[in-house]
Amino acid sequence: MNVKRTMTLNLTDSEMKVLEELSRQKDLTKTTVIRQALRLYQLIDARIKRGEKLFFEDPEQKKAELMVL
Amino acid sequence: MKEPVEIIDGTTGQFVDAELFDEITVEHFLETKKLWRPLVLRASEKLRAQGRQNMLPDYTNWDWTKKEPYLHMLATKFFGITCRKALQGIEVVQTENITGDCQCRLPVQRGKSLLYVDYLQVAPWNIKVLMEPIGEKVEFRGVGSRLMEAAIRFSIEEGFKGRIGLHSLPSSEPFYRNECGMVPVMRDPRKQNLLWFEFTPDQAQAYLGGDI
Amino acid sequence: MRMSRDRSWLLKRAEQEDRHFISVGGLVSRIAAGTSGGERTRLMRAAFLRLLQLARRDKRLTTEQFAEKADIDVAELILIDNTPNYSPTPRTIYKLSSLLKVPSKTLMALAGMVDLKDAQFEEAAVKFAASSEPMDKLTSDEQKTLQGYIKFLSEREK
Repeated sequence: MNVKRTMTLNLTDSEMKVLEELSRQKDLTKTTVIRQALRLYQLIDARIKRGEKLFFEDPEQKKAELMVL
Repeated sequence: MKEPVEIIDGTTGQFVDAELFDEITVEHFLETKKLWRPLVLRASEKLRAQGRQNMLPDYTNWDWTKKEPYLHMLATKFFGITCRKALQGIEVVQTENITGDCQCRLPVQRGKSLLYVDYLQVAPWNIKVLMEPIGEKVEFRGVGSRLMEAAIRFSIEEGFKGRIGLHSLPSSEPFYRNECGMVPVMRDPRKQNLLWFEFTPDQAQAYLGGDI
Repeated sequence: MRMSRDRSWLLKRAEQEDRHFISVGGLVSRIAAGTSGGERTRLMRAAFLRLLQLARRDKRLTTEQFAEKADIDVAELILIDNTPNYSPTPRTIYKLSSLLKVPSKTLMALAGMVDLKDAQFEEAAVKFAASSEPMDKLTSDEQKTLQGYIKFLSEREK
């Protein structure tokens, strides 16, 4: 279960920039950022599949926005 | 993953071989409900009778079969310790979640990722403060500490540099603050005002005695 | 993952662990129980039990169905009914409060877990506990009493 497999990932310049910035902010390697993104995606996807909805709320305007993947 | 680990026999004081493993199933959790809970209830009644409500443990009444989807998420990781063919402690950690618990809140590391310790339970026969009131010796010692160690080492493996975070139950606050050296950051209104603790990388290393 | 082989480290940590109850509150949460026993607590408990019983009857549910609807352990619901000093877990209180549409803190006070030090609240609890019979379908008077009491509990937090 803990065996890792290797994948080559081609990113655009802007995608790589975002990845580098997240890596810097979170103090994580780029690989870990990608793995974290995958984990988060799975979590959200699982809940939406169960019929739940995901909202963002703006604390100042008190509005909520529905996010659907 | 299966890793040999030593814990301490509560009767003889000898070091004994145990095993840390990570392939936990819902059956392990059901085992805790079936075998651990009756002893916890019995010890709880004794503690109440002695007026020691502040020492009352809690136990989860969750229907673990309903929680099974949660158990299969990539972001969820488990550790268990077995010895003499019985489960001695169990832990659930998260590398990511959607409630923000995997982000540092301590100002010096705010926004950085940490490993969130979501659940940590030692078998009641290993908990001295529970066994003493009912006149029993603990079976093993050090199980909780090994689970804390596993969380820190996993945090390091995952690139979080040993940072961990957890919400402490009130009776455990002195343990995390005074014994582990974790930093109490804030009371979390989203979690019934439980106290949120964090380890910085240096503190995690200190907890492990520098043995990274 | 290589775990420490340092026995002196393990001994030190085990000693620290012996002095405490180690747990975390992510999935499990707890609030210190209020004092058990005592006349005040017994009366509040009676109101708490009566509230659960009437709410269940009002919804025409068995104990098991009520537990399922509330998303709580049926074994704990039975313990609440049958064990005088049993303290429900905070999660159970939270789930029941959602189902009954009553603030958690108020329900905790009824369950004897916190002391609100409110004579009016205690008096209302005693009256409510004494107001109905435990069996069969709610009479219209019992329904009115139940609805009125739930309204009182809900408005108490405001």
